[in-house]
Amino acid sequence: MEKQRQILEKQVSERTKDLKVANQELGQQKMSIQKYAEALKQSNEDLESFSYSVSHDLRTPLRSMDGFSQMLLDEYKIKLDKRGIDYLHRISNASQRMSRLIDGLLKLSRFARNEMHISRVNVSDMVRSIAEEYQQFMQKRSVKFVIQDHIIAEGYPSLIRVLLTNLIDNAWKFTSQVSDAEIDFGCQKNEGQTIYYLKDNGVGFDMSYADHLFDVFQRHHDDYEGMGIGLATVKRIVQRHGGRIWAEGKVGEGASFYFILNNEKHVDKNGGK
Amino acid sequence: MSNKIILLVEDNPDDEELTIRILKKHHILNDVVVVRDGSEALDYLFGEGKYANRDLNVMPVIVMLDIKLPKVNGLEVLRRIREDKRTKWLPVVILTSSDEERDLIESYKMGANSYVRKPVDFIQFQQAVEQLALYWALLNEVPKGS
Repeated sequence: MEKQRQILEKQVSERTKDLKVANQELGQQKMSIQKYAEALKQSNEDLESFSYSVSHDLRTPLRSMDGFSQMLLDEYKIKLDKRGIDYLHRISNASQRMSRLIDGLLKLSRFARNEMHISRVNVSDMVRSIAEEYQQFMQKRSVKFVIQDHIIAEGYPSLIRVLLTNLIDNAWKFTSQVSDAEIDFGCQKNEGQTIYYLKDNGVGFDMSYADHLFDVFQRHHDDYEGMGIGLATVKRIVQRHGGRIWAEGKVGEGASFYFILNNEKHVDKNGGK
Repeated sequence: MSNKIILLVEDNPDDEELTIRILKKHHILNDVVVVRDGSEALDYLFGEGKYANRDLNVMPVIVMLDIKLPKVNGLEVLRRIREDKRTKWLPVVILTSSDEERDLIESYKMGANSYVRKPVDFIQFQQAVEQLALYWALLNEVPKGS
């Protein structure tokens, strides 16, 4: 009896010790989580003040550059030769381009900050309306759109629209040299996941660059307009939905973009509107 | 014309030069008083500091106010303007590089009459300044002796 009691007491005291250690560890973990949370809050605030200063301070010198070169053009044009005038135009264009870059970057950073609600989005309709806008405003081009019907996704509607617009813009741009340009949108199922795709038959790209397609300011075709922000924005938005995006392509044979929006609970392909 | 003053609160000498050139070019003949920071703006409006001898019966027809200013920032200047019965009705246009939503909201909360983002594009900037001056200096009317 006595022996058993001693064994039991020993066991109890060992358990208590273990528990104490576990408790201490938990406490430490809790502290380090709090620390992380504070650090995160701090870095978020830093980011905000950074973007604020970008929005205000970086624009101001650009206005001077554009303003004074424009003023030289207005008031001193007679004193300048053709080359001089050309240089001033270059300064003015560069400052405006820089300003668009800043705007693009700011937009990109704001996507990350915005709080929004997830809802059901009829992606097919969205793609169709964006396609119509492009066809209306750029009537010189004729691009065939093939859009799969009744694709419903769950996500942030305004962000999904930006995502699709950027992908379509990309496809629209890189099919400009193709006579029978075509852009296909649809989705396929793979192991319960819905993979959306947007394919074009444009200039395509070299697969060895595939990893860098979505980097900020990464431009792969110098002879096409662009700032290198569109696809970076797309990636940011997909990530915001907990998903991922990748691309496949071949030089001269078009590009295909695939993405998954992971936070969807289910996708009802025949869900209609 | 001499009592139709435009008060330009601008700390950036380039923007000041551009704004004044635009006004001259469009034959807007109002006197433009330029102050370089928020505290100087308040001194001017309330006849303090180096403006102690100023005739306070003459108030600007419009204040063009930047938000990010040395010493006292634009929103604080605006708050003080609205607080004081001498300047309560003074038209204040926020003219700033910032397009941050919270600056916009704060400005209107404080009683700004208008909020204009300074465009980088000079042609657009020119149009903005010209229209602002024409509207506020020529068309707009405020109650007298409030």
